[in-house]
Amino acid sequence: MPRILDESYRVAWGDLCYFKENAPTILISCLIGPLLYLVAFGYGIGSGMESGIDGYIRFIIPGVISMATLSATFSFISSKILIQKLFYASFDELMLCPIRPSSVVLGKTLVGILRGICSCAIILAIGVLISPGIKVTAFLFLLVFISSLTFSLLGILAGLLAKKHNSLTVFSSLVIVPMTFFCGTIFDVSNVPAILGYAIYALPLTHPTEAIRAVMLDLPIPWLSVAAICVYCILFFVLDYCIIKRRSF
Amino acid sequence: MGTIIKAEGLKKSFDGFEAVKGIDMEVEAGEIFGFLGPNGAGKTTSIRMLTTMVRPTSGKIIINGFSLDKDLTEAKASIGVCQQHISLDKDITVRQNIKHHAILHKMPAKEIGPRMGELSELMGLGPHMDKKVTELSGGWKRKTSIVCSIMHRPKILFLDEPTAGLDTKSRHMLWDMIRELNRSGTTIFLTTHYIEEAEDLCGRVAILNQGTIVALGSPKELCDSIGYITVEYSGDDGKKSMRQFPDRQSGKEFMAKLKEDTAMSLRKTTLEDVFLIATGEEYSEGGV
Repeated sequence: MPRILDESYRVAWGDLCYFKENAPTILISCLIGPLLYLVAFGYGIGSGMESGIDGYIRFIIPGVISMATLSATFSFISSKILIQKLFYASFDELMLCPIRPSSVVLGKTLVGILRGICSCAIILAIGVLISPGIKVTAFLFLLVFISSLTFSLLGILAGLLAKKHNSLTVFSSLVIVPMTFFCGTIFDVSNVPAILGYAIYALPLTHPTEAIRAVMLDLPIPWLSVAAICVYCILFFVLDYCIIKRRSF
Repeated sequence: MGTIIKAEGLKKSFDGFEAVKGIDMEVEAGEIFGFLGPNGAGKTTSIRMLTTMVRPTSGKIIINGFSLDKDLTEAKASIGVCQQHISLDKDITVRQNIKHHAILHKMPAKEIGPRMGELSELMGLGPHMDKKVTELSGGWKRKTSIVCSIMHRPKILFLDEPTAGLDTKSRHMLWDMIRELNRSGTTIFLTTHYIEEAEDLCGRVAILNQGTIVALGSPKELCDSIGYITVEYSGDDGKKSMRQFPDRQSGKEFMAKLKEDTAMSLRKTTLEDVFLIATGEEYSEGGV
């Protein structure tokens, strides 16, 4: 196994123990939000749409999956990092081990990725039952993986930068919550005014939403969006790496 | 045996405040080295620099022959650290914390179980191994931290106030364990507030004050350097004072000159006397 994967697994081992012992609670907690959106928006708002409930449900399922890659990863990872850094001081222990900063970053994303993929798989299973026409491909899982990785990396960044728990709550209220609504998860971004559209396209959740929707609804793949997710992923990784590197030698 | 920890011109500033003003020291392999100083002397900052957790503003550190600037991973693999604050993951059990530590230090899988059994028995952790860290008292958390720090058999063990929060029995047990580890070849770097702990355990001590080392040597050398005998007496204002002398006779001669009703006593100089003089704490009129 390449060294970075081996070391990342070592970093993630403690978090994986916790995940294994608390999997049902963890999964239920990260599924509730997306499923509520699916029911409330799909059946509630969808019934008043021209395309009807079925058409809107088909549209919203990829959005809810994309949303799950954010909600299942960001808050869990950011608060875990903050707690391990400020209250348990166990993050310091990581810095004392002969593990490279890049492995620390990747290791800390593993549980987030696992949460993201498990949540999306469950929502996808429900989605296939509700709307059998949607496409499920390996590329879809790759997108879910990259998106979960990206938002886990964003979670690490927020956890590392936050000085107290309140800062995380403020960041979530100002950035994460608006992102879940505005990034094309429940409406088509092409329908908003151009100036708002630019702002929406600058947000990282818009791109996995567009790409996941294209795959699931068998539309042309928006490669620019796929590239944008990758750029955000690399950017967050580099920022995390620099902050961890700066914390010690 | 050679130098195993070397610090040259070590400085650290925080927002213009110079917490460590230039430390030069060498710790020999196989010794128990004590690091003493009053609150705010720069002990924790120094130990955090030596253990790779804080980057110095300037200076050079070599650990087990590895420069922290060039061979960080190798240097980290040589050390074990028991931090002043309990640094365990409270979401998982004691066993999982210890095992995670071993995994992070890349211990071979087949060695982890036996080593964990050996150390849990030594520290009496057996009945607590499957408890969550949050269910433990402060003393048991401290013992778990210590087990984590020595799990991977480090060549150098940094102990930052390891006996803080431990009862007398546990403290003595830990002292025995430190001696045993040292006998087996581990170099110990110890910071403590208990001066008798340093006097009892350490081959050499450094006393830090206001970011610089103000005294360095074996407890005996340091005591002899200020005077083998100490006379404690009350001054005219009732304030307690002390004075050191090279021998008992000089001390007795000094006592004979004091007023008859002065409360006084003659005793061997201790490391605590050296500490008080070197750091200028409490006694201000001491000195040979």
